[in-house]
Amino acid sequence: MAKTIRPTEPLAVDHSHVAEIAAEEAGTQDFEVALVSLNQWQLAWRRYRRHRLAVIGSGFLLAMIAVAIFGTILWPYNPNDIPGVTTPGGDPPTLNPIENLFGTDFGGRSVLQMVIVGARISVAVGLFTMLIATTIGVTIGALAGYAGGRLDGALMRFVDLMLAIPFLFVILVAARFFGGGDPVTLIVIFGLLFWAGLSRLVRALYLSLREAEFVEAAKAVGVSDMRITFRHILPNALGPIVVSATLIMAGAIVTEAFVSFLNFGIRATDVSWGNALSNSKGYLLQGNWWWPFFPGMALALTVIAVNFIGDGLRDALDPRSKE
Amino acid sequence: MVKYIIRRTLGLIPLLLGIVLISFALMKLAPGGPERQFNQNPRVTEEQINAWLTRWCLEREPTPIGIVREFSGWMGFYNCDTESIFSASGGLNLLPEFLGGGDNGIIHGDLGISIVSARPVTDIIVERIPATLILTSVALFLWVTIAILLGVIAAVRRYSFFDQTVTFFSYVFYSLPTFWLGLMFIFFFAVTLHWLPAQGIVSPRDWPPFNTPQYWEAFGQDPWSAIYDIGRHLVLPVTVLVLVNIAGDSRFVRASMLEALNQDYVRTARAKGLPRRTVIMKHTFRNAMLPVVTNVALELPFLFSGAIVTETIFSWAGMGLLFIEGVTARDYFLLMGLILITSTLVIAFNLVADVVYAIVDPRIRYD
Repeated sequence: MAKTIRPTEPLAVDHSHVAEIAAEEAGTQDFEVALVSLNQWQLAWRRYRRHRLAVIGSGFLLAMIAVAIFGTILWPYNPNDIPGVTTPGGDPPTLNPIENLFGTDFGGRSVLQMVIVGARISVAVGLFTMLIATTIGVTIGALAGYAGGRLDGALMRFVDLMLAIPFLFVILVAARFFGGGDPVTLIVIFGLLFWAGLSRLVRALYLSLREAEFVEAAKAVGVSDMRITFRHILPNALGPIVVSATLIMAGAIVTEAFVSFLNFGIRATDVSWGNALSNSKGYLLQGNWWWPFFPGMALALTVIAVNFIGDGLRDALDPRSKE
Repeated sequence: MVKYIIRRTLGLIPLLLGIVLISFALMKLAPGGPERQFNQNPRVTEEQINAWLTRWCLEREPTPIGIVREFSGWMGFYNCDTESIFSASGGLNLLPEFLGGGDNGIIHGDLGISIVSARPVTDIIVERIPATLILTSVALFLWVTIAILLGVIAAVRRYSFFDQTVTFFSYVFYSLPTFWLGLMFIFFFAVTLHWLPAQGIVSPRDWPPFNTPQYWEAFGQDPWSAIYDIGRHLVLPVTVLVLVNIAGDSRFVRASMLEALNQDYVRTARAKGLPRRTVIMKHTFRNAMLPVVTNVALELPFLFSGAIVTETIFSWAGMGLLFIEGVTARDYFLLMGLILITSTLVIAFNLVADVVYAIVDPRIRYD
């Protein structure tokens, strides 16, 4: 987010601030200055904390992950538990009891509970897609960027191809033909399709980093190429990679919801936010707003949280790419 | 310049071939053969299915050679009727028709026949283009214009309240799932307030279906109310598209403007004592627009590929909805045709973007 950050170089410590702390610690003398040096990660954490929206976002995402893990344990979900409804599309939200806080669906099931159960799919799809896609993207990008030459050419032509084909088209076709409503298959499909942009970025990073002096130094002392690629260059390229991994996560969560919304994703009997939206669509014209509203809100807030985290990480890990 | 364009175009050929191969492979890997499509239709006899399979070189249990034949038939290298690479008139099948070639396959502009509606895929796609073009061109025009305005103002007043507000809302709208935003808009503006129609391109009570001969006849009789009717239907989908897409572009314009503002020539212009307005409009804006032009060129395929999400929510019968219909019905030929056309447009506009950039920016060398 747009706010002034001081250009903080590693070890360039804000002296006035440190002096204050030191003065507090040392009692009253303000000339006794103890320098506190911070390493890269502490500096990054300091920059991250300053991004208020990112901190709120991380809190929200952690809460969502907790809901996904513990939600159904604390409040078991039984799809056959149908209490019955009084209005055609379900009952509007009431404050008492908690079950009906978000209203009910056409079967009288609690929408609040559906939001809680649906969090499992969204969080899992987001996290695991990010994991798979980032692994593939980093490996291919690193390979292309570090090796160069013909391998680079071949891999990048393949990436061009992946990026030329409209992404949503392939996702929908693959989910329809191979998905079968299984979350794991869906995650694999997403993972295999989300990496192309990232690999291009990683390649660009490696192209510039492999000319750096520390790589030359590592080569001179006989470090193997494998080790240079992953132990020496990768940590230096981590900032942009982490940022774009969060974008992949946000993208995967939205795409899962959309694919499920079109009934090509998670099977209709399972609960996901996209499914809830899909089921509620037909009742919208009867004024049944709460059923699509709350799962959609959960989805929107999670994605916004992830995007804010990404922005905070960009400030923290990759300050040069700010503008 | 001409040499550059020719070289870049030749470079696209492997990419195109790859796209063709991938879209074909995707269809081929899908479980269940195309003839399964007729399972639900008791009127189709076994002979008819066989004839249909032969026409398109399809096989029930394709062998590797069969798959190659199927692919060449779809491409147009192979003639399924004569069962050879020669056409009925004796020439090589891949030649154009007037040189004695065949008329089947994508190299002859024949994308095959839709399994569901039994009509040529090309016809179906051409029929849907006007609806998509209306929606996407209005939306693209609006969001690019607004994004440029917002981006420039945000950059000039960097870190001001305006800038922060624009940034915050771009993030929010960028993150909002399009289909959910669409549903909420329908609920609020159409169902609750009754201000705007919820779905479709034209009001079905007053007008015949869009893009039929009857419609154009009615259109000719009363064009203004027809345009007004479409306009009312356009408001919600266009708003959704603009809100969601404005974020990326306005950030891009802002970044580009900021970079231009930091250039030496801008400092020189200021130091000369030029009015702020002149510095921003003539010196900064024009230079900042160079990358923006390229970026917009890259967005142009959207005009034809359509907005899958938005068209689905608002039942806007364009290319995006056509694709969803194709996926639902597993219409192989239609899907292959759509993927092929859209991907070709994407790489074509990539080339256009590069060429435009080379033309508008004299600093770019293209040799």
